[in-house]
Amino acid sequence: MHATFKNYFMSFIHIAKKIVYLCTLNTSNPLLNYEKLRMIMLVKPLLKATLLLCLLLTTQVLFAQTKTVTGKVSDDKGSPVAGASVLVKGAKSGTSTSSDGSFKLSVPSSATALVISYVGFAEQEVSIPESNDVSVSLKPESQALTDVVVIGYGTARKKDLTGSVASVQAKDFNKGTFTAPDQLIQGKVAGVQVVANTGQPGGASTVKIRGNSAITGTGQPLYVVDGIPLDGRSSRPGLNAQNVGTTPGGNPLNFINPNDIASMDVLKDASATAIYGSRAAYGVVIITTKRGQSGQPKLDLGASVGESSIMKTIDVLDGNQYRQALTKYSLGNANDKGANVDAMDAILRTGITQNYSLAVSGGNENGKYRLSAGMLDQQGIVKKSDFKKYTLGFNSNFKFLDSKKLGLDINLISSQYLEHIVPISNDAGSTGSLIGQALQWNPTQALRNSDGSLNILAGDIVNPLAMSEAYNDLSKVTSILGSISPYYKITNDLEYRMLYSINYSTGTRRTSIQSYINLADVKGKGWASYGNNELITQQVTHTLNYNKKLSSDLNVNAVVGYEYMKYTNKGGTMSAFGPTGGFGNYDLDYTNYLQYSASSARTISSFIDPTSELQSYFGRVVLNLKDRYLLTGTFRADGSTRFGSNNKYGYFPSIAFAWNIAKEEFFHAGLIRDLKLRASWGKTGNQEFPSGSSQAKYSFSNNGGLGQSNNPNPDLKWQSDKQYNIGLDFGILNNRLTGSVDYFNKTTTDLLFPTFPIQPAPPGNVPTWKNLDGKVLNKGFEVTLNAAIVQNKDFSWNFGANASFIKNSVSGLSAPIQTGQLNGQGVSGTLVEVIASGLPINAFYTRAYSGIDKATGQAIYPYKDSFSYQGNPNPSTILGISTTVSYKRLSFTANMNGAFGQKLYNNTLNNVINIGNLRGGRNAAVSVVNAEPQESLTNPVTSSARFIQSGSYMKLANATLSYGIGSIAKFIKGANIYVTGSNLFVITKFKGFDPEVNVDKSNNGVPSVGIEYTPYPSARTVTFGVNFSL
Amino acid sequence: MKYIKIFIGIALSGSALVSCTKLEEKFQGDLTPGQVAGGSSSVDALLKGAYASMQNSFQEQGNVFSLQELSGDAAIVPTRGGDWDDNGAWRQLHSHQWDADNTHVRDCFNALSGTVFLATDLLQYTPSAQQGAEARFLRAFSMFEQLDLYDQVPYREPGESTLEPAKVRKGSEALDFIISEAEAIMNDLPDGPAGTANKWAAKVLLMKCYLNKGVFANRAAPTFDAADMQKVIGYGDEIINSGKFAFSTSYYDNFAPDNTDATKAKENIFTKVNVGGEASGGSGNSVRSRWYMTTHYNMNPGGWNGFSTLSDFYDKFEASDKRRGEAYALTGIPNPGKRVNVGFLAGQQYNLTTDAALTDRTGAPLSFTAAVKSIETENNLEVTGIRVNKYGVDYTNDNSGNVDNDYVYYRYADVLLMKAEAALRGGGSTSTALDLVNQVRSNRGASTLSALTLDVLLDERGRELYWEEYRRQDLIRFGKFLQVWQEKPSDDPKNLLFPIPNQQLSVNPNLTKNPGY
Repeated sequence: MHATFKNYFMSFIHIAKKIVYLCTLNTSNPLLNYEKLRMIMLVKPLLKATLLLCLLLTTQVLFAQTKTVTGKVSDDKGSPVAGASVLVKGAKSGTSTSSDGSFKLSVPSSATALVISYVGFAEQEVSIPESNDVSVSLKPESQALTDVVVIGYGTARKKDLTGSVASVQAKDFNKGTFTAPDQLIQGKVAGVQVVANTGQPGGASTVKIRGNSAITGTGQPLYVVDGIPLDGRSSRPGLNAQNVGTTPGGNPLNFINPNDIASMDVLKDASATAIYGSRAAYGVVIITTKRGQSGQPKLDLGASVGESSIMKTIDVLDGNQYRQALTKYSLGNANDKGANVDAMDAILRTGITQNYSLAVSGGNENGKYRLSAGMLDQQGIVKKSDFKKYTLGFNSNFKFLDSKKLGLDINLISSQYLEHIVPISNDAGSTGSLIGQALQWNPTQALRNSDGSLNILAGDIVNPLAMSEAYNDLSKVTSILGSISPYYKITNDLEYRMLYSINYSTGTRRTSIQSYINLADVKGKGWASYGNNELITQQVTHTLNYNKKLSSDLNVNAVVGYEYMKYTNKGGTMSAFGPTGGFGNYDLDYTNYLQYSASSARTISSFIDPTSELQSYFGRVVLNLKDRYLLTGTFRADGSTRFGSNNKYGYFPSIAFAWNIAKEEFFHAGLIRDLKLRASWGKTGNQEFPSGSSQAKYSFSNNGGLGQSNNPNPDLKWQSDKQYNIGLDFGILNNRLTGSVDYFNKTTTDLLFPTFPIQPAPPGNVPTWKNLDGKVLNKGFEVTLNAAIVQNKDFSWNFGANASFIKNSVSGLSAPIQTGQLNGQGVSGTLVEVIASGLPINAFYTRAYSGIDKATGQAIYPYKDSFSYQGNPNPSTILGISTTVSYKRLSFTANMNGAFGQKLYNNTLNNVINIGNLRGGRNAAVSVVNAEPQESLTNPVTSSARFIQSGSYMKLANATLSYGIGSIAKFIKGANIYVTGSNLFVITKFKGFDPEVNVDKSNNGVPSVGIEYTPYPSARTVTFGVNFSL
Repeated sequence: MKYIKIFIGIALSGSALVSCTKLEEKFQGDLTPGQVAGGSSSVDALLKGAYASMQNSFQEQGNVFSLQELSGDAAIVPTRGGDWDDNGAWRQLHSHQWDADNTHVRDCFNALSGTVFLATDLLQYTPSAQQGAEARFLRAFSMFEQLDLYDQVPYREPGESTLEPAKVRKGSEALDFIISEAEAIMNDLPDGPAGTANKWAAKVLLMKCYLNKGVFANRAAPTFDAADMQKVIGYGDEIINSGKFAFSTSYYDNFAPDNTDATKAKENIFTKVNVGGEASGGSGNSVRSRWYMTTHYNMNPGGWNGFSTLSDFYDKFEASDKRRGEAYALTGIPNPGKRVNVGFLAGQQYNLTTDAALTDRTGAPLSFTAAVKSIETENNLEVTGIRVNKYGVDYTNDNSGNVDNDYVYYRYADVLLMKAEAALRGGGSTSTALDLVNQVRSNRGASTLSALTLDVLLDERGRELYWEEYRRQDLIRFGKFLQVWQEKPSDDPKNLLFPIPNQQLSVNPNLTKNPGY
């Protein structure tokens, strides 16, 4: 629905205020004309001009003017606010402020208070002092109960919400430079956990809303950008680089410029999400981009530059410690190569990030526009990793016909991003990937020979600096998300809207590994790969929206719609080894002349997914009785080509009720000013399984083979989530303390799961996708509090906190499902996680460990090789804290987030920097070498609870100090300079780079949680920036 | 109103573009059964897929190789500090401590079933007589292996849904099916070459069926029916008298990179053809794992430093026996010191280009010791255990992963030894048996024997066929599998069969737990 929709909901009092404001204005100030016009425009759809005039006349007559109040209105930074409305409380007279923010108003002698309001600021009530001189400082509108939030296929006033929806406005986003928007709300919303999977710029995040119920697929929420649900995949081609492994995926949200986002709304309970049906089980995040406002063209500019370095290192032996360790373990000096190098330092650098943004916006009553451009150039802290993004966004809104009944919205987001990716993989074997190679490098071994050339060893130990130099990997993703949406007001109550959108994204990736590196198979030949991918989503949506006040007490708002979506995913890869003698040292990238390879050493593959279509019918009714009793019902029917022929359609209902207790006559506003109780129930689904799983499929293999490649299941259907939610919203102390408490209970059934095929079945242990009996339960509490602790003219202090407490359990599964695959030497085929009845999802399940035997130096496993439950990787508590302190024009904001109670498996410590490395000429962790009792070099490397560490942490995610300069000269407005620090500190006992970690260690399509394995380290960044408008 | 009409027109045309769809899923890069049936060369491609699927069962070191060899007395994967613990899965095999969740026990069952599936499935697409016979041979071949290891063989009819629990043939019933299949397809199978399922391979399979018939009926106390032994001898004679097979000049010619050449590798009856540098189409490690699984990191090519033999087994060889190892000429490596590079790699190892002595990663001499333990805890853990590789390294293609060595399933010497065994077990005379064994021995440079007992014959099979995935089967047939041996201090009768993997028991009620598990 359209943004002006909110106007329909405005109470008559509000409208009256505006009318009064318009008619009582002292029109001597020409600056106010514009504001006046704007107001008239807003009111117009509801009231005819004649009626308006009548009202004006009556209201003006009503008041006797007996005293004069003067005053001044300023914003939170102390700048004067022109055009603010100043009304007498309880009466209808008022004025607006002049260009210096001052006003003069005649009021009845009985008047005791004024109500001051201005768009974008919270309405404020002040009492009239004896002096009749008032000074008011307006506060920006916070997440107060008056905000409008975007829900599926429409908007709602927050106070009319019956579901659990959290809205985060741009000003409340995390500060800093982000490649994708998911990081903007980390720690901002109760019940939402955002974990960066990798420190690589542009890398994906894991976002979990209300716990973890994904026994397969990604478990990621559905993202909806300006009414367009995203596919959820990235078109960046995946890569399993020769002897390096699978590099982590790219973030599918990278194409959006975070600077263009006006708000992000997180739909959490089923009442809110069920309108998205079979894709909504993991929650919905609605991203709304900024729009143009009526008025003169406005040019917003921003620029920032930042510097990043590694946040936290892993302690491995330095050269001298290594020599001591060789002595301590009587290893002789064969592996003391004499030098003293820091291999990790050699592959790291200080990364420079630059970010520029520009937006032009404006418009009038017939049309509004916003054009934005952005450029981000982020260097990663690992050499040769970077992320460059160019975005161009355009949106506009036109109104046609004299009646303005016909409208057209046009939206376009185009972007291109280029990533240099480094050889850091999720599943590196014994030769490791870049980070593992750096951690393992013998610190007494020079990285370069005396002549400056790279020191390439004879065996299988890879020089990380050589790896860094030998590996080139550039991906380029180009995206266009365009939509066109005409709408027509059939009557005043009924609006028809059509939306057509296309989201086209194409990615290419060129990767090469130089022939000089001593990777098995690559050495002497070199390897190169060229991949491309196309991802296309088309959508057509028709909606009819009906909004009518049926009686003075009852308002109905209904929407019905039809939606069709079509997904296409196709691509291909060619790769090759160099010919005898290799690709040669022509100083050209191997991917530029792949034909130089021997034909027998080439690998080609191409694919296109089966047709994937989703056809849906949906509807929603919201009934509002006396603004006190709100009832919302939604329903969606989703048909999908993926579903088996016996289950083509899924049905997803929800119902919710809210009671605005504060509006009841018996309720006397004392300490508590707002109080609303909400309750909801609903069903959603998840259809994250490969298309083509329901019917028999024969696939071509390389070299002329063909064979059935799946185990078709015609009964296959969506995974089903039932959720109920009970919540309470409140505002205390004149709404200086607001908050919500929610209890949720989410049961996932018909678990979509890749089950073991019943042999004989197609080779490769191809899973049979089935809806399993069994359920995953996530339940818990969410608490959100926002407090305006101090609100003075010069000084203010706001504090916000949210916490969620989640308990997760699995039941009814007939057989345990194993996942959490470790990699590295000595752990082939080792799985450390299990999804099993009676345990939390992805429970660590491995050997118990009770220390090192003093006598033998061997690890003691009290129950030998029998496995047992060893910890929960899911946090029990997630915490987000933010605070803003402002003094005059200076403002300080800090955002912290944390997660508690979760365990992490340290696969790095287990397999990459263990004690046995010392005898193989590799490096080991300081903590292992110095541990007492002394561990034997021959202690077998195996998985056990020894490597399960506490993952609890609290992070100062970002802190910003900003100074509002205000206007400079005559043309620069709203100038603001700031400095932001990101990842400033983390408090944790975890021994890896960052407790906020989730390396993909899935097994056979079943995701893992909380395993660390030589990830790209997290960066600490300090950014300096400036914003201003022209 | 004009605008409205235009607008409604646009809206309606927009709807017409996507009027309600029937939601039919169409493959675009894959085929439906209907498309397969309509394809002109579908059966050729399906058959190729079935052949390729056997790579995972037999060439990959973790499946049949692990179950048939590591569970015997001739192979072990010691845990070497940081290497080869792998959750104890390898150790369990040699020490007979496996359970129904062991990854190799599980993966091997699945891999063999995969071939059974593909070979069955293609029968619904009207293959030619020879194509059908080849597929049925591959199926019988894989079923025989599954029967030997697990005693239970799940099977499906062509086109049957994999959602349904597969029916299961057990023990003698399964063997009877395999025999009837091999006999039924005999006339439709081609005469060769070794890389194609051929009638000589079917005869070897039948020899193995009849030789083991009494074993599969009762593994704890097998009896050997004279009529069965006559069958073994009969099929053996057909092969011997065909004149198609003979001893190769060198024992290692049969395994060398150019062993597709039937004039050089004269003993090979059934192989998987591998073409150097060409993708095999199969999954799992290729035959290259035969050297990677055993060679040390610092050798050329550097391997995974794992699989070894045991000193008791190594001691069964005479010094003159070529099967214990020799310097075999290989393209791409000069080997100036004429160092042993095939067979058993014992003692100091050398750089085969410069002849410099190699060291391990601590700088100590890379000298493989005869002594080996299940869990190595001493500082020499990298070098313990004599290494074994029968397949000469294909240096040309080694680092492409797709090496030229064909993988050998059936070999002429095995036919001779099976015939000898059948004769010794009552199907013929001891002298016939002794003569056959001595034919083999003299061709390998070993002294001829003057007498033959079953124990001696078992040892001879060990010497001739070591690491060719028969050892467990032989030890059971000769009643020795439950004896204690190096690094296996005790045993249990249940171990005569591997357990049906828990994964499969949980989804197929027609499978039953093997006794004792």
